[in-house]
Amino acid sequence: MGLKCLLAALAAMAAAMIAPATAQPVRTANVEAELHSARAAIAPGERFTIVLRQNIREHWHTYWRNPGDSGEPTALTWALPLGFQAGPVQWPAPQAIPFDILVNYGYSGEVLFPIEISAPADARVGERVTLTADAYWLVCSDICIPEDATLTLMLPIAARGRDDPQWAGRVAGAVADLPGRAEGVGARISRGEPARLSVTLPGAEDIRNPRFFPFDRDAMAAAAAQSPRIGPSGVSFTLTAGAAKNLGHAVLEGVVTYEVPDAASWTRRAVEIAAEPGPAIAETDAQAATISSDYPLAALEGVRAAPGMSAVALVVAIGFAFLGGLILNIMPCVLPVLSVKALSFAGGAHGGQARRHGLLYLAGVMVTFLALAGVLIALRGAGAAVGWGFQLQAPWVTSALALLFFAIGLNLLGVFSIGGAVQSAGAELTSRGGDTGAFFTGALAVVAATPCTAPFMAGAIGAALTQSAATTLLIFAALALGFALPLTALSLAPALQRLIPKPGAWMERVRNVLAFPMFAAAVWLGWVLTEQTGSAGMLALLSLAAALAFVLFVARWGRVWLVIGVAALALTAAFMWRPLLGVETQAVLVSEPWSPARVAELRAEGRPVFVNFTAAWCVTCKVNEATSLANPRVARAFAEAHVAFLKADWTNRDEAIATALAEHGRAGVPLYLYYPSAGEPVVLPQILSEALMLETVEGKPP
Amino acid sequence: MTKLSKRTLIIGAGLAALAAGAGLMVLGQPAQAAVATGAPAPAFSVQDASGATRTLAEFAGRTVVLEWTNHGCPYVQKHYGSGNMQALQLEATEAGVVWLQVISSAPRQQGHLDGAGVVARVRTDNAHPSATLLDPSGAMGHAYGARNTPHMFIIGGDGRVLYQGAIDDRPSARPSTLEGANNYVRAALADIAAGRAVQVAETTPYGCSVKYG
Repeated sequence: MGLKCLLAALAAMAAAMIAPATAQPVRTANVEAELHSARAAIAPGERFTIVLRQNIREHWHTYWRNPGDSGEPTALTWALPLGFQAGPVQWPAPQAIPFDILVNYGYSGEVLFPIEISAPADARVGERVTLTADAYWLVCSDICIPEDATLTLMLPIAARGRDDPQWAGRVAGAVADLPGRAEGVGARISRGEPARLSVTLPGAEDIRNPRFFPFDRDAMAAAAAQSPRIGPSGVSFTLTAGAAKNLGHAVLEGVVTYEVPDAASWTRRAVEIAAEPGPAIAETDAQAATISSDYPLAALEGVRAAPGMSAVALVVAIGFAFLGGLILNIMPCVLPVLSVKALSFAGGAHGGQARRHGLLYLAGVMVTFLALAGVLIALRGAGAAVGWGFQLQAPWVTSALALLFFAIGLNLLGVFSIGGAVQSAGAELTSRGGDTGAFFTGALAVVAATPCTAPFMAGAIGAALTQSAATTLLIFAALALGFALPLTALSLAPALQRLIPKPGAWMERVRNVLAFPMFAAAVWLGWVLTEQTGSAGMLALLSLAAALAFVLFVARWGRVWLVIGVAALALTAAFMWRPLLGVETQAVLVSEPWSPARVAELRAEGRPVFVNFTAAWCVTCKVNEATSLANPRVARAFAEAHVAFLKADWTNRDEAIATALAEHGRAGVPLYLYYPSAGEPVVLPQILSEALMLETVEGKPP
Repeated sequence: MTKLSKRTLIIGAGLAALAAGAGLMVLGQPAQAAVATGAPAPAFSVQDASGATRTLAEFAGRTVVLEWTNHGCPYVQKHYGSGNMQALQLEATEAGVVWLQVISSAPRQQGHLDGAGVVARVRTDNAHPSATLLDPSGAMGHAYGARNTPHMFIIGGDGRVLYQGAIDDRPSARPSTLEGANNYVRAALADIAAGRAVQVAETTPYGCSVKYG
């Protein structure tokens, strides 16, 4: 079992302990399925929504209500307590899945199917009810396998229902994503061969990849081109009759899906329609709708979506890429790195050696840019919607770059010198006097350049990403050539080298001044990281920056100090890595907010309660939370003993918390209280340990 | 259309295929409703399990049932596991109807069998086809637009398609759905035997996809 699975399982356990609605995921060979409730407890007579969650194995699918040319929709057979009723499965918008001469309608990855449940008015408060569904689905890749599972969901009946903290939001999101009947959406289906379906849709002229999916299998041939067209009033489709042969003679119900542009990419939308027989709606077929080359049915629609670039367009894109690369040299992330290299030509390398270094630098730039392009192409091939800057979407990359800029800045200020006792990996490679050094200067410059976009570059890269892999690589190569040109030219032309003034004190000043654009770039990346991870990521980044500065600074004092410095950095990293790798510490033990009333309520239910009085500014609290409270064994013990975990957050002024602290003789946090299921609360020490926590919840207070 | 634009089209299609990338399947030609009900059935010339070449022409004057099959498909297994398909085969062949199983699974795809494999399979299933046709190239399957297993066609003595579609009205792989199912093939054969027009002449087939190469 992978770490993620383990965390997920523990999170589920922890959730089960806090939120009394419980279910067990069922894993078949190809699907993991589970029922989740939006409500942790339900009141008598309440109508609420649950979801069936399917997590489908990669490259496999389950099916929509109309499966298309093959397959079968997921079916649930309910066994419910007396008086409970379950509504039908509600179907999210399907994907069109082409397979040879077939087109199927279904889902991949994780999908949530909302289902409405109503509880009887005479449900008894205090009881737990179990909703049981025998689920059956067909799951297919190139072959199909029928699978079934018995799914259960246990729910407590309470006087007042309450939301499940984990699932209320996700269930609401799944319901909101269902294709709905939108206001002002009209639809007509005309008779004739072929029949034409027209749908009013505001903003239709901006959409792409529209397609109609009928509810009825017999209504329409699934694997036929629909030749969608758009106009000022909406969108229209050519439909090929199915076995029912009643197009234009009966109301045609189904879902229209399409994509709308948003800031960065495209968002898929779906709307439910019921088309009345009648003549087509005007102004819905002014022009052919755009079909993108990554649309699964692009070939079926016979559209070369992104037309191959004309030769002129390609030359223009290459020119822009070259120009953009050239300009990239003076962007603040790059200039300092390159200036230092350029200065080395003033004093150091000459003649044949300079030429060789220049060419190796060019090779370093080229290889790194093409590698980035390769990663981009591979990600796009795998279906990810990525553009330039994709690398900055991972917090660990953002923070690593920020630390790199910080270290380069320190180097430029002379805090440590390359070639001394310690170097960061990149600095070590670039400092190698000679050939490898020149190559890795190129690589480092490209890495440093990734957060920056120069004018002309965006357009060229944008164009490159809609093209074939070969064209993408060509445009990136032009970018690399432009980027490497100034320094390579300098290395090749002694005449240019002579333009650099004689080495002297001014060089040191230039170096020092150039440190500050580096720090500015690091600050900006720190802000990006805050947006990605919140304050936890910022704390981690600044801690690592402090530790990094420490190790770089003390290394000059010799080996012992180097070891101490590295140990300090490693220790910091060991405590801080979680937010930067996107691992949520809270995922292990789920807490709910503390209040005296909630404690009383839980104790009335006979459950043990653990209260964590904490604050963001309390270092002891955070250490305890990162170690003992984040420990999986502790979480498991909590789950097994059914201990409720409440958090009283004193980061901001709070009268109730101050009172509770005073009652236990404290003026501040941390304070850890454990209420056994019977008896007086126990005050735990301010420094927690795993052993102490396990003894406490297993009923053997120290 | 000039030659140049055709070439552009081919290059363009190639580019689009490249751009579609590793994760996406590249479509073959969309054969939709390849045969109209009432129209002459496409001729075929394929080998049966014994290696003999079989054609549609040799059955002129007789009613022919085509059953696309794949023994690995759960929908086919529903009909064979329960004995439903074999019973229908026996009924039909005893009444003088020619029943041809067709296997269009490509080599190394699910359901692909060679002649010896077919003989063993028919024995295991206790099936009663008049012959089993091997169509590993998919040519016959594409000519008929066979999409699913089971996908059923009935061809009249005059060579016209009298029925095409599902075997019954229960599009599910669950054996429990067989009970009370309305078998379209049995009904169509009864209509043909009685000299009536086939009441339900076209339905939407259901089942697995045919595993063309």
